[in-house]
Amino acid sequence: MSTSQRYAKLLRQILSLLTILVLIFLVWEGLKWVGGDIWRPDQNPLGITHDPPLRFKIASDLNLPHTWDIGAAFGRPARRNGPPLANILIGAALFTFREALVGFTIGAVLGLTLGILFTHFHLLERGCMPYVVGSQTVPILAIAPMVIIWLKAGWVSVAVIAAYLTFFPVTINTLRGLRSPNPMALELMRSYAASDWDTLWKLRFPSALPYIFTALKIAATASVVGAIIGELPSGIRSGLGGAILNFNQYYISGPAKLWATIIVSAFVGIAFYIIINAAEWLVLHNRRPTRG
Amino acid sequence: MDQNVVSMTNVSKVFGESSNNKTIALQNIDLTIAPNEFISIIGPSGCGKSTLLRLIGDLITPSSGDIRVNGKQAHQARLDQDYGMVFQAPVLFEWRRILQNVSLPLELRGVKKKDRETQARRLLGMVELNGFEDHYPWQLSGGMQQRAAIARSLATQPQLLLMDEPFGALDEMTRERMNMEVLKIWEQTQVTVVFVTHSIAEAVFLSTRIVVMSARPGRIMHIVDVDLPVPRDEQTREMETYFRVETEVREWLRKAEEYSG
Repeated sequence: MSTSQRYAKLLRQILSLLTILVLIFLVWEGLKWVGGDIWRPDQNPLGITHDPPLRFKIASDLNLPHTWDIGAAFGRPARRNGPPLANILIGAALFTFREALVGFTIGAVLGLTLGILFTHFHLLERGCMPYVVGSQTVPILAIAPMVIIWLKAGWVSVAVIAAYLTFFPVTINTLRGLRSPNPMALELMRSYAASDWDTLWKLRFPSALPYIFTALKIAATASVVGAIIGELPSGIRSGLGGAILNFNQYYISGPAKLWATIIVSAFVGIAFYIIINAAEWLVLHNRRPTRG
Repeated sequence: MDQNVVSMTNVSKVFGESSNNKTIALQNIDLTIAPNEFISIIGPSGCGKSTLLRLIGDLITPSSGDIRVNGKQAHQARLDQDYGMVFQAPVLFEWRRILQNVSLPLELRGVKKKDRETQARRLLGMVELNGFEDHYPWQLSGGMQQRAAIARSLATQPQLLLMDEPFGALDEMTRERMNMEVLKIWEQTQVTVVFVTHSIAEAVFLSTRIVVMSARPGRIMHIVDVDLPVPRDEQTREMETYFRVETEVREWLRKAEEYSG
């Protein structure tokens, strides 16, 4: 692909993203136009008065604030004489992202290790796999308080909770990926008397990479969720989880603040996903499935 | 001292353990292959041709009998990288460039990067793939990929080349070109070839001897000597001997079909 083609592709991507964003905006405000609370001229950018013909509970200003109110909330102080909400949320996002990143790394390393061990020791796989699967059926909300009791409240225990959500998809996909080579490719390595180690690094692991990257993308977003949820029982106030808890408590006095926090949380997940996607492109962009 | 490249004595291979899923893939195989022979193995599907090849390569182990390669146990011969193998598919690693694919066997042997690349370049020249060193497998046609696979199988300069229906997936024209290519390599390198195929024409054109097998259980029906002159070329296909041998192989194959359960 030439550079200009690549730019064209990027432009198309941005355009489609913007189109969807505009659509969401139109549906959102359309709903409020039809069934929201009264629009007051000093509270909307159009400066108009409008009395919606219907009243939907879901579209009230409390349940569904105007998009511009959410936007404006970023610029206003969250607390009297405090810094603007945007500053607080950026700080919280960085804090949570650090927890998620550490958790993601621990989970990815653990998942890769388990995947490699299970590929080479079937007995271990048969023995441990039920527990690995079982670990994921226990709700994270039940695990989180225990982790905090063991490790004390702090960002490290939150990272461990994030790792708990991360290692599972990595384990499963690594295992699948390491077993994905063509049987003939495995025979080829055997015909050259390749050691298990050589077969792992020169055949199994490269074959597993597309599977592993898929898992890492799932893990990246899951680690953000894990970090946010992990903050709740640990009483950490510096992250997005703390912010959600806080703005949830005072929702009635400022619903837009919670919505703004949700948007920032989503952005952290998306940003992490994009980072993994870029890493995947760097590693795999030269690969194409080989025709027969 | 055993001078044969391959000698199989009373070899049998049974798949499955319990009596209801037991399959006798090969029974009482005796076969010796001398240096620089070109042996084709042909037979109805399910006759164990590929199994026979994999036994020689120690990719599977026999249920009974003795297999020697270069006078050693087949297992030791594999550990010593005494043979190269070409499969039905090229099995090139899609994350490696052609040069790195061809030099893989040398890399596994611990040969220095510079030396193994020199060797790989030479072999790519031999299969007429100069200029494709830095390409990825998907950028090559099927025939070119299989030529790269042949180059890879020769990387360790083995005395024995095991080929498992290497051109089965190629079109007729490419296959005939590849046959010429294999003969050229066979003459140049003095390698001994064991070639599994189900094309009679291919077997007759290439081989010095053709092993005809029957199925269920897999046995050697007959070994046909091909007394066609070497080197072979396009004229070979028009010789009277060529047609005579082709007919002979076809008759033995028919008998093999009748004999098979």
